[in-house]
Amino acid sequence: MRSLLLAVLAAYLIAAIHSILAFVNKRRTLQQVAEWSMAVGWVLHTGVLIDEWAVDGHYPLFGSRETLSFLAWALVTGYAIVLYRYGAQAVGAFAMPLICVLTFAAMLLGRARNPSAAAFSPTLLFPIHTTLLIFAYAAFFIVFMASVMYLLQERELKLKTFSAFFHRLPSLSTVNEIATHAAAVGLTLLTLGLVAGMFWNWSEHGKVWRNDPKEIFAALTWLLYFVLALYRSTANWRGRRAAWLGVLGFVLVLGTFLVAPLFGSYHVFGLALL
Amino acid sequence: MSIILIGVNHKTAPVEIRERLAFDDAACAAGLRALVDGEVVREGLIVSTCNRVEILSETANEQIDLGAGRVTQFLDTSGNLGPGFLKDHLYRHTDEEAVRHLFRVASSLDSMVVGEPQVLGQVRHAYSLAVEAGTAGRILNRLVHHTFRVAKRVRTETGIAASAVSISYMAVELGKKIFASLKGCTVMLIGAGEMAELSAKHLVNAGASRVMIANRTEAAARQLANQIGAATVVPFEELAEHLFEADLVICSTGAPDYVLTEEHVRKATARRRKRPTCLIDISVPRNIDPATAKVRNVFLFDIDDLENVISSNIREREREAERAELIVQSEVMQFQQSLRLMDVGPSIGAMREKFQDVARAELARQRKKLGPLTKEQEAAVESLLMSTVNKIAHPIINQMRRLYGTSDTDAAPSPTDLFDLEE
Repeated sequence: MRSLLLAVLAAYLIAAIHSILAFVNKRRTLQQVAEWSMAVGWVLHTGVLIDEWAVDGHYPLFGSRETLSFLAWALVTGYAIVLYRYGAQAVGAFAMPLICVLTFAAMLLGRARNPSAAAFSPTLLFPIHTTLLIFAYAAFFIVFMASVMYLLQERELKLKTFSAFFHRLPSLSTVNEIATHAAAVGLTLLTLGLVAGMFWNWSEHGKVWRNDPKEIFAALTWLLYFVLALYRSTANWRGRRAAWLGVLGFVLVLGTFLVAPLFGSYHVFGLALL
Repeated sequence: MSIILIGVNHKTAPVEIRERLAFDDAACAAGLRALVDGEVVREGLIVSTCNRVEILSETANEQIDLGAGRVTQFLDTSGNLGPGFLKDHLYRHTDEEAVRHLFRVASSLDSMVVGEPQVLGQVRHAYSLAVEAGTAGRILNRLVHHTFRVAKRVRTETGIAASAVSISYMAVELGKKIFASLKGCTVMLIGAGEMAELSAKHLVNAGASRVMIANRTEAAARQLANQIGAATVVPFEELAEHLFEADLVICSTGAPDYVLTEEHVRKATARRRKRPTCLIDISVPRNIDPATAKVRNVFLFDIDDLENVISSNIREREREAERAELIVQSEVMQFQQSLRLMDVGPSIGAMREKFQDVARAELARQRKKLGPLTKEQEAAVESLLMSTVNKIAHPIINQMRRLYGTSDTDAAPSPTDLFDLEE
C-alpha cells in the first residue's frame, strides 16, 4: 500500500512542478500535464483510501497519518472544483506543493497499527464529524489562498506598481468570488461537522460540550467565518476587510490543528491531529 | 532549394524610402507575377506594411545570388530608385536566417512596439495575396503555415502581448484585472476628447455593455455617442448622480479643477454596495481629486501612474521577448529539419525502387535455371526477393532519415550520389 501512496505522491509532484512551471510560463501544455497527473493522483489516492478502509476495517481518517493523507485528498478535490468553476489555475501553483508535503508526511509516518480505532466508535457519527471538518478546513485553505491573492493585488493596484505576480494571478473579482463561495461552503461544512461532533459526544459521554481547547478553537473559527459570511452577504463587496478575515480565519484553523493538541486535548488519539 | 528574404524595415530605412517601396494589393499581385518566373525565382511573397517591405522568395540552391539580384533589382525598379540606391538599406537573409527573420516578424519581435498584434494579420494578408497570384508554392506554403504556428505559440506561451503599452488600452487591462471580464460593465466617459473615444472603443470591443458620456458641451457628447453606438448622454450637471452606475470612469476634460471630488466618489461607492470602481484620470491638470484614492474599493490612476505602468509593461514585454526568441530558435530548427526530410523523401522512394529493380533483374536473369514453377512457387520466389530487399533497405532508410533529418546536410553525401540514383 505504501508503494501505491508513493505513486500518488509521484503524480502530485509532477502536477505541482507543472503547475508552477505553467504559472511562470503560461504554457497550456504544462497546465494540461499538471491537470492530468493531478487527476491520476486523485484516482489512485481514492483507491488508497478505499483499500485502507477495507484492510484496516475502520474509516481511513483516524491517526495523524490518515488525517494528513485524507486532508491532501480533500485539498485536491477542492482545487479541482475551483479549477472547474473558475479556471483559476494560479491556485494550483500554491496548493499542489502543499498537497505534496502533506502526502509525503503521511508516507513518512507509515501505517501505525491502531487497534483502538476499529473498536473506537461503532456509530457513523464520528467519521461524519471528521470528514466534514476535513473538507471544511480544505475549503478554508482555499479561502486563505484567494484572500492572499486578493490582498496582494489590491495592494499593487492601490500602489500602482505591478509585479510579475500581478499579471499571473486571477482578477480581483474572481478571487473575491472564490473566497466568498469557499467560505460559504466551509462554514456550512464546519457547522454540520461540529453538530455531528456534538451529537457523537452526547451519545458517547452524555455531554455536548467539554471545554476542550480544540473545541474552543473550533468555536472561534466558526464564529469568525460566520461574521465573514455575514459581512459578505450584507455588503456584496467588502474586499480588503473580508480578505483579512479570510487570512485570520486560517490562522485559527491552523491553531485548531497544531496548537490545540499541545494544551492536552482529549481529541488527541495517539498522534492524531483531529 | 534556398529561401531568400530581402527587404527594408523601420530600423534600416527612413519612412521616405519605405513609402516609395510600399505595395498596395494590386501592385503586390502584379509585382509577384512579374518577379516570379518559375525558373530563377520559383516562389514569392511580398509583405508590405508601414514599417517594412520584405520579399520572400525561393530559388534553386545554385541560383541564390542570381535570385537575390533579381529581387533587389525588382525593388529598385518598383520604387523608382536608381540602381544601388537601396544598397545601404536592404538586408538580405538566406535559408535559416530568412526563416528566423520571418518567424520573428510574424511573432512581432521585430516590430517597433514589440508584441503589437497587427503584424501577424499583415503577414496573413500578404500570404493570401501570394496564393491568389499563384506564387506561393510547396516551400512557401510550408514556411508560412509554420510561421503562423510559431506566432500563435509565442502569443499564447509568453506574455509578449499580455500587458497594455498604450494609455487607451490601459483602461481595458485595468478593467480586466479588477472585474475579470468587461462583459456587462458600465463605462462613464467624462469629456468627449480623442483619448476618451479611443479608450471607449477598446472597452466596447472588450465587451463593455454600456457607455455613458458626460461632456460640458452636449453636442460633442451626442456626436461621440453616435460613433460608439451603445452609448447614452448624461447631462454634465447630473454627473455625480450617475456616478454610482459606472464600473469604470475615464476622465479627460479641460477643466481647471476637480470634476470628481472625494465626496462624490464616497457617495457613489456607498450606493454601489462597495463594488469596486476604477477611475482613470488622463487630464492635465487633474480632474479627479487624488484624495479619492483613499476610498476603499476605489482604484484611481492618473496620467503619471499610467505612464509608469506602461513603462514597466514595456520592460516586461522585453523580458518576455527573450523567452519568445528561444521559442523562435527551436521552431527554426524544427522547420529546417522538416525541409531536409522533405528533400530526402523522394530519394528514399527512388532508392527502394532501385533495390527492387535490381532484385527483379536478377530474377529474370536466373529464371531459366529454376525450371517450370507453379503459380504459388512463382509468387513465393518473388515475395522472397522483395522481402529480402526491403529488410536490407529498412535500416538504411532509417539511418538516412536520421542523418538528413538532424545533422548538417552538407556533411553527408546526398542520397542521390550515395546510391547512384537518377534524379
